[in-house]
Amino acid sequence: MGPHIVSSFDDDLIAVQARISEMGGIAEEMLSGALEAVKNRDAQMAQEVIARDKRLDAIEMEVENLATRVIALRQPMAGDLRLLISALKMASTLERVGDLSKNIARRAVYLANARPVRLSSSIVRMGNQTLGQLTEVLDAFTSRDTALAVSVWKRDVEVDEMYNSIFREVVTYMMEDPRTIGLGSQLLFVAKNLERIGDHSTHLAETIYYIVEGTPLGDDRPKGEPLGLEGY
Amino acid sequence: MTNMRMTEQDLQDRETKIASRGVDVFYGATHAIKDVDIDILNNTVTAFIGPSGCGKSTFLRCLNRMNDTIDSCRVTGQILLDGDDIYHSSVDPVTLRARVGMVFQKPNPFPKSIFDNIAYGPRIHGLVNNKAELDEVVEKSLRRAAIWNEVKDRLDQPGTGLSGGQQQRLCIARAIATAPEVLLMDEPCSALDPIATAQIEELIDELRQDFAVVIVTHSMQQAARVSQKTAFFHLGVIAEHGDTNQIFTNPVDKRTQDYITGRFG
Repeated sequence: MGPHIVSSFDDDLIAVQARISEMGGIAEEMLSGALEAVKNRDAQMAQEVIARDKRLDAIEMEVENLATRVIALRQPMAGDLRLLISALKMASTLERVGDLSKNIARRAVYLANARPVRLSSSIVRMGNQTLGQLTEVLDAFTSRDTALAVSVWKRDVEVDEMYNSIFREVVTYMMEDPRTIGLGSQLLFVAKNLERIGDHSTHLAETIYYIVEGTPLGDDRPKGEPLGLEGY
Repeated sequence: MTNMRMTEQDLQDRETKIASRGVDVFYGATHAIKDVDIDILNNTVTAFIGPSGCGKSTFLRCLNRMNDTIDSCRVTGQILLDGDDIYHSSVDPVTLRARVGMVFQKPNPFPKSIFDNIAYGPRIHGLVNNKAELDEVVEKSLRRAAIWNEVKDRLDQPGTGLSGGQQQRLCIARAIATAPEVLLMDEPCSALDPIATAQIEELIDELRQDFAVVIVTHSMQQAARVSQKTAFFHLGVIAEHGDTNQIFTNPVDKRTQDYITGRFG
């Protein structure tokens, strides 16, 4: 795509995209920090993650204001319109990713003060997978790489399966030893939040696909067992 | 799309009102329109968009042989109205223009009374038998053009005394008074304020119930709002033609994308 005849239109679109990338960077750091905090029982790190969320909320507001203004002033069409509508959705999705990471960080504070558990390793693995997908989908946005976006979209089922397996594992521990129920519940919420972040990455992938292709990605995505309740 | 708008499904049932086949237009040595094929559907608003000089008005004016008035202009290919070639030697252009009416960019009421502006067409085409019928046609046309209430008490006053928006609606009333089958509109709102523009757009949507409407407009938003089909003209050819919804959200041709998003082509 060439530049717009009105160059300030280009400046606006670049600014919107820069904000989305900035939000993506912060959300990624928050998730990565929250996972570190869980893994290393680092309450200090968890507090830093919690503090970052405010910045993410502030940029989301900026994106909303900017996109609304551009739509009102320029009446964007076609690819420009798709980008702006999608930017609004992406900003809100990334804000949710930030919230969920903050929630993981809160639970990390609890876990840091509790008795260590060996279970953490499968949570860490699930966390790395979720973080990897978020990173890839943000790369796909920057490079407008629909193949990468589709690959993230298809792999969400892996995160879902990990969630199901952690769910079973944690419930088993809690049944064996009721003293682990408090801790286990916290871990279940961490896993659930990661699973939600995975869903948000999927949604980001769909949005990126729409920006580039102008058509929806469809809904024949591989899906796992939704509740992880089989066997219980 | 809301239920107020025609869905693409509905469009599939519309018959072709005008079919253009391999149409070329020359002004002297200038090749203004190149091999244009397009079907204009009945009960549908078709918008022609494109940069200045792309040929959209020239092509519009072929559809009721308005180009006949320009000596250097030569039209080849076929334009079929209900399957009949409108450029056939047996076709009377004046009768054709009663069937394919036109509204111009600048309101151009006759220097006559409001009543006579509307009555002129039905009179010369012999569409009415007596004064009562004529009165009825005038009132009906003015009502359909959404201007009756504003002019009913001063039908004997000159049409040129109306405001710009009123004059344009008067011209639309004049165009529909001959009961045309197709209405051509060449930038009908470019001289109007936003309120008059909204009134005309509302009117276009109503006129679609009875006619095929073809509108040339420089306002992309207007094309997107009023039409169901859009054709993008570029350097005398139709670069892209399709459902309005698709053209404005996901155009296929790069020239269309550049134009509607305001980029350098």
